[in-house]
Amino acid sequence: MTRLTTVFIRISLLAAALAWQPAVAAGDTPLVYEDNEIYMRLVLRTPAQLSAFYQGRQFKQAAIDKILETCFVTPIIRNKSLDVLWLELDRWTFTTDGQAITRLKRDYWPPRWQESGLPQAHQSTFGWTLMPEVRDLRLDESVGGSVVIPMQSRPFTLTANFPTGADKQGRTRTIVFEDIKCATDAD
Amino acid sequence: MRHRRGLGTALASLVLLALAWQALATEQLPKGILKMDGRDAPPLVLKDMDGETWDIETARGRWVFVHFWASWCGPCRKEMPTIQAIYPEFDPAELEIVVINTAESEDTVFAFLAGVAPDITPLMDTDGLVTERWQPRGLPASYFVDPEGKLQYLALGGRPWDTPDYLNFLRNIIAQ
Repeated sequence: MTRLTTVFIRISLLAAALAWQPAVAAGDTPLVYEDNEIYMRLVLRTPAQLSAFYQGRQFKQAAIDKILETCFVTPIIRNKSLDVLWLELDRWTFTTDGQAITRLKRDYWPPRWQESGLPQAHQSTFGWTLMPEVRDLRLDESVGGSVVIPMQSRPFTLTANFPTGADKQGRTRTIVFEDIKCATDAD
Repeated sequence: MRHRRGLGTALASLVLLALAWQALATEQLPKGILKMDGRDAPPLVLKDMDGETWDIETARGRWVFVHFWASWCGPCRKEMPTIQAIYPEFDPAELEIVVINTAESEDTVFAFLAGVAPDITPLMDTDGLVTERWQPRGLPASYFVDPEGKLQYLALGGRPWDTPDYLNFLRNIIAQ
């Protein structure tokens, strides 16, 4: 094998590796992706689970009803690499049948809390249960929390992009979860 | 001439040794402990469950272990017994352990701590606003404030404080 051929094969392998986007389908149970750099698991909370959690924190039913109008996707992510892994929710996309689903960000909630009369302490607790918008995950650091989208009757796809490197100049890792369904109490 | 060369080699060796020691000391931080930039600690004035006010300004001259938690958070529940275990190990005049509950009721906090950490009287951040001012990366979160009131270290998530690596870390910082 000539040296030129060897170099060509190496470049082809590298290009293939960079182009590959791991995808996990909901048919795979549970919804987990893991390689030697990143661990990511998705949990879909049922209305009964959400109600029980927030009732246990003394949330009023009116506030819980606002929560149950939405779909809670709870990722748990761990950076297994030596490099910084960036969680930036604005780089994540949710789609269904090719159409974008608009994520419900933190500013969605204050008007709902005002309508339902949720005290400041409970608003604070709720805020801590949401996934941070941005986080520079260090070696072996984990993060978890809920990402909220409008309730979906159809399956949807999450494409999660993670920049890497302290200055975000490293390659972007992309993990795709397909065929996700908002959990119902029948699940 | 030979003597001078020998002195130079010895000095170079000492410098290398010092650099290696510094690097080693940096690397010896236990897993999940990050060095911070030494900025001023944010204000922290809260009442404890007995109604006594505590102000971080009164803690100048000693290290403060500032720990934010909530009983609904799984890693917090796992970590709290390890904080209880080290509580009697340290003289509060050297390292004061300050445990802050984030936005829960006294009944909830009392019911939880009575079972796992009966010696700890937490400060109550009743509306959660002090916690938000400190901007922890999540709950639980622990900060180490030096005797000058500067943020020196941050612990990521829950840590087993009663294990040798973390106990040595705590002993080392107060010996600084």
